[in-house]
Amino acid sequence: MNHLSEEQIVLHYYGDAEEASEVERHLAACAECRAEFSRVQSTLRQIEPLEVPEPAAGFEEKTWLNLRDRLPQEGSFLQRLFGQQQKWALAGAMALLLAAAFLAGRFWPRPGQQITQQQPSQVNPQRVVLVAVGDHLERSQMLLVEIMNADSKGPINLSSEQAEARELLDSNHLYRVSSQQAGDPQVARLLDQLGRVLAEIANGPSEVTPGDLEQVRHTIQSEGLLFKVRVIGSEVNSRARRPELPGSSANQRL
Amino acid sequence: MEVTDAAVVAQVLAGDRDAFRVLVDRHSRSIFRVIYRMTGNQQDTEELVQETFLRAYKSLARFELRANFSTWLYRIAVNRTLDFLSARKTHMQTKDTYQIVDQPDAEESNQVQLPTLTPGPDRLLLSSEMKRKIAGALGLLTPAERVAFTMRHMEGRSIEEISQTLNLKASAAKNSVFRAVQKLRQQLEPYAGPGSTTRGARWGGSAVK
Repeated sequence: MNHLSEEQIVLHYYGDAEEASEVERHLAACAECRAEFSRVQSTLRQIEPLEVPEPAAGFEEKTWLNLRDRLPQEGSFLQRLFGQQQKWALAGAMALLLAAAFLAGRFWPRPGQQITQQQPSQVNPQRVVLVAVGDHLERSQMLLVEIMNADSKGPINLSSEQAEARELLDSNHLYRVSSQQAGDPQVARLLDQLGRVLAEIANGPSEVTPGDLEQVRHTIQSEGLLFKVRVIGSEVNSRARRPELPGSSANQRL
Repeated sequence: MEVTDAAVVAQVLAGDRDAFRVLVDRHSRSIFRVIYRMTGNQQDTEELVQETFLRAYKSLARFELRANFSTWLYRIAVNRTLDFLSARKTHMQTKDTYQIVDQPDAEESNQVQLPTLTPGPDRLLLSSEMKRKIAGALGLLTPAERVAFTMRHMEGRSIEEISQTLNLKASAAKNSVFRAVQKLRQQLEPYAGPGSTTRGARWGGSAVK
């Protein structure tokens, strides 16, 4: 007498076996296959659906806010026109931010240097740069995640990632110089590493092979870059949010 | 009356990018649950939820307005997760092969991280030791097996849905589920008590036709 195959028994457990009535008849007649079926049943019943944690309140809001800036500008004529205006506004804001970062870098006090005067009404340039670097690391993190998760089948188009990498690369240099001048070697080292990877992405071909993509991923992974960007980025952000103590701004590292 | 998903999609396609937020509000939690069951990691899941919506937005023009948006989004989420698991597995294989460990820790070892399973009151075998074994055994599945098994076993999706979602033939979808179960049995039955060993040698032999 032929017995049921393991595949027939497993599929029967889920109700997916071909010729189900024949399988049923066999199980009714064959004690050995019945015993096997109950072993399959007992193993599979141990594997219960995973308990999924409830996302935090405001999850939808957070998802949308993170997503909104990444949505490509496509759509109607009016939207494209509006999108162009937004781009110009963004470019202007970026130029201002870069100028602020540059000035902060130039006038950043060296370690041990005392600030003798500070007007309380002035915006603290160090804080401006901290916020900008935090934002820069967050955007870089998103880009690296995109690269790590990109489809790795067939020719891969990385043109949008490259455009992002080029933008980030421009500001990366400035932030690295500023952090060096501010005496913050940890952030400077990270930006140095990040800059090399950004340059590799920005200057590569827009259409890459799975092998090329794997090489970029390998660089990111071998240096633990994504992890460092996450950790240091969150540290920079928390420093930027920390309330400013009187007289503390002079020694606030990047 | 609530605006239908199809109407919102039409609004986005007409140029109202911010209308996409309605779809994010409606579907992000259910997509979170789907992805979490496959990755078992909250941070990865949150990133993949964003990736799913981003991909959906970019492909919105290909969405047929008569189709069900949540089914379409579900397919994108599952495929995105499959790509993610494949990329992660490739990365891990460059370092080492998967192994069952007593204390799986996705950050530290080459295990696919899984959240703790909830033990039922009558399941004596679901001790913490057994949960670790299950997590380890699931970590040995290929990404395709893992996804097919999760869909069939944990979500109760039909073979037809699995094959449509993963763009496979029904026979290939069945085979993925079977291979997953076969591997899980090999790992878990030795711990399931006396008399629980498979017939082993006879598998692959003659079958009822």
